[in-house]
Amino acid sequence: MPSRRRTLLKVIILGDSGVGKTSLMNQYVNKKFSNQYKATIGADFLTKEVQFEDRLFTLQIWDTAGQERFQSLGVAFYRGADCCVLVYDVNVQKSFDSLNNWREEFLIQASPSDPENFPFVVLGNKVDVDGGNSRVVSEKKARAWCASKGNIPYFETSAKEGINVEEAFQVIAKNALTIGDEEEIYLPDTIDVGSNNSQQRASGCEC
Amino acid sequence: MASDSSSSPPSSDEEEESAGQKPNVDVKTNSIDNSLDAIENQLSSIALKTSIDERTAPSTDYDHEPVVSEIDDGSLRESVSERQRSSIGESSSSRAAGLWRNNLEVEVELEAEVDGAPSSPSSSGYAGERGSSSSVTSASGTDAIRELRDNGSSMGDDGMVPLDSSQTQWIHGKRHADEDDASISWRRRKKHFIILSHSGKPIYSRYGDEHKLAGFSATLQAIISFVENGGDRVKLVRAGKHQVVFLVKGPIYLVCISCTEEPYDSLRGQLELLYGQMILILTRSLDRCFEKNPKFDMTPLLGGTEAVFSSLIRSFSWNPATFLHAYTCLPLAYATRQAAGAILQDVADSGVLFAILMCKDKVVSLVGLQKASLHPDDMLLLANFVMSSESFRTSESFSPICLPRYNPMAFLYAYVHYLDVETYLILLTTSSQAFFHLKECRIRIETVLSKSNVLSEVQRSLLEGSMRIEDVPVDPTARSGSLFHLNQRRLATDSQERVHETFVGIGGPAGLWHFIYRSIYLDQYVSSEFASPVSGPPQQKRLYRAYQKLYASMHDKEVGPNKTQFRRDENYVLLCWVTQDFELYAAFDPLADKSVAIRICNRVCQWVKDVENEIFLLGASPFSW
Repeated sequence: MPSRRRTLLKVIILGDSGVGKTSLMNQYVNKKFSNQYKATIGADFLTKEVQFEDRLFTLQIWDTAGQERFQSLGVAFYRGADCCVLVYDVNVQKSFDSLNNWREEFLIQASPSDPENFPFVVLGNKVDVDGGNSRVVSEKKARAWCASKGNIPYFETSAKEGINVEEAFQVIAKNALTIGDEEEIYLPDTIDVGSNNSQQRASGCEC
Repeated sequence: MASDSSSSPPSSDEEEESAGQKPNVDVKTNSIDNSLDAIENQLSSIALKTSIDERTAPSTDYDHEPVVSEIDDGSLRESVSERQRSSIGESSSSRAAGLWRNNLEVEVELEAEVDGAPSSPSSSGYAGERGSSSSVTSASGTDAIRELRDNGSSMGDDGMVPLDSSQTQWIHGKRHADEDDASISWRRRKKHFIILSHSGKPIYSRYGDEHKLAGFSATLQAIISFVENGGDRVKLVRAGKHQVVFLVKGPIYLVCISCTEEPYDSLRGQLELLYGQMILILTRSLDRCFEKNPKFDMTPLLGGTEAVFSSLIRSFSWNPATFLHAYTCLPLAYATRQAAGAILQDVADSGVLFAILMCKDKVVSLVGLQKASLHPDDMLLLANFVMSSESFRTSESFSPICLPRYNPMAFLYAYVHYLDVETYLILLTTSSQAFFHLKECRIRIETVLSKSNVLSEVQRSLLEGSMRIEDVPVDPTARSGSLFHLNQRRLATDSQERVHETFVGIGGPAGLWHFIYRSIYLDQYVSSEFASPVSGPPQQKRLYRAYQKLYASMHDKEVGPNKTQFRRDENYVLLCWVTQDFELYAAFDPLADKSVAIRICNRVCQWVKDVENEIFLLGASPFSW
């Protein structure tokens, strides 16, 4: 039996197809990168155990497919997420433009209790490509968008080189954790025998 | 199965339920695409059939590509659909058999009708990557046939424990906590039970570490939610010889993955009980927590209860109460049970909702406030909870519990105290303040019980055991009205210790090996003591599974209700007889003569009636006031 309480965090990775969601996850979990593109179908799931401030927790990472035809899976997949990671490709303008849609779609489908403060993290991936020469979305522009959406943490990453991947996931875990911490007291009702049988109340326990 | 005549390979009695084959569910990559494909195929095949009446629609096979080696395919499919007919209860289910693209035989059972297949994406070519499984397919095909034949003979897992001491012998808590879905040992387990939340977070797994299984649990959620999104519900996926049974209870998803060949209805019933056990610990207020917060993590609330779940799962292979939905009593002289009942009634009148005196899993006496009914399933779950929680044994306890069949939404309070090593008293109340009152009640009860020698009678009964097949009165004139009369006679002549070991070899009259009699009005059953041909735990477990299957086939909603069944295979002759008053399940030697067996069954029923005031709790049936 677990002596110490562990927390499980559900992390959803969203973004256009081909921005490198699976590669980021692979780099983070398996420390591996492949140049070959293999489209994710539906979703892939990975788990990673992370130690953070003396606490052990498990990231359950939902790597979703970017293609639009998979969007119907949204509700099923997003429910109960602790953090949502939005990924775009700094070399593809459209993937950045889509971030707004991804975010809104997520908030609609997942309908978290406090959408304003739901933890997102934005990753601008593939900063290594062509030495940064093919880049079309500037860091400034990206940061501005993040700021406008309630100061979403932003990282520039390269799944290929492993740049900022670990750091980004640290923040993902941290942000997911802070809102997961509020505890509620579990207090179910006690049976009121009186509602079953009105006579019982009188003869109920006197103590 | 009765029709299988060929001999089956001897099964090994491993300690764990282990399958030679890994599950066909693709757990390694935790990718659901393949499964989604399969489901999608099923959906479209169902859509094709919507014009046909679903009850009569024949199952149709859709081969998406030529199957390479299908030597046994015809017979397999025949047997599969045969099995299916006897194992699926709900008549509303539409059926579709199909093949996965990678040639694995998979059938998906969906609950509601689907009006056309949802416009879900097709995953072009991806399944092909997985390929290389055609050889596996043929292997699993033949294996499935073999599995059918030696169904029940594959003991294992829980088989090592004798039926009457299962509570004391095994290690509490989870075994193999280091495993995850990538472990070969985990994949080889014969029967998995997994509970997860509707967001895919693992809550409980019989084997392995829940957190390490997070990916697997996410896959299960994705499959369930995908089907749900289409306005449907997945009940069963058949993959090779594995059955994956799903049960959705609001925000709680329960899944059983099994290659034990138990009927679908039985596995589903086990999931229901597992859910009930969780409700007993937490109530259905859980639903509200999930409504408010889908991220809700209930594992901390279940802290320390793993032994409760594993003990319940264990009882699925030895305790007939888990499928009979009836409870059993410790045999006692009528006056003794009356004396116990009187003192319990006394405290019940002072505001105790239920007062239950039990010895192991058997009821000594039980009393409830008028109109308050206690369902046998609730008793099973409550007894399991008490017996599997070590702390109840060491001190008097007061604990909130919920009786799911009584009121799933709210807590009751249980005062639990062990009067001796095996005998315990449970007093249920609605008041959280009642501890001291109940303590007083217990002291009163304990005093009366020891003065009236009830406790020593209980111990004696435990030693003497229940009905024995050797004692079935063959000569109707030599009937005795008391069970103890017989047992005492034997005690006088035999060694005190191992009474039931003395009859070796032949079983009872006409080759009777064992029987279970369930009284329908009383919600109680009596099971004969296990004697020689079924004295070992593996034989007992095999017989248990055979009874379970018999029960499921007798209660099959599509075919049944049936009145009698006589079935002979290489292991037994099984005879089942269902009337308005009782159900009798009897096992005979495989060579037993049919007419003689029937005669013996009549004798057994007569015998049970003769001694019913000693083996049953009469006049106080809690469920039929």
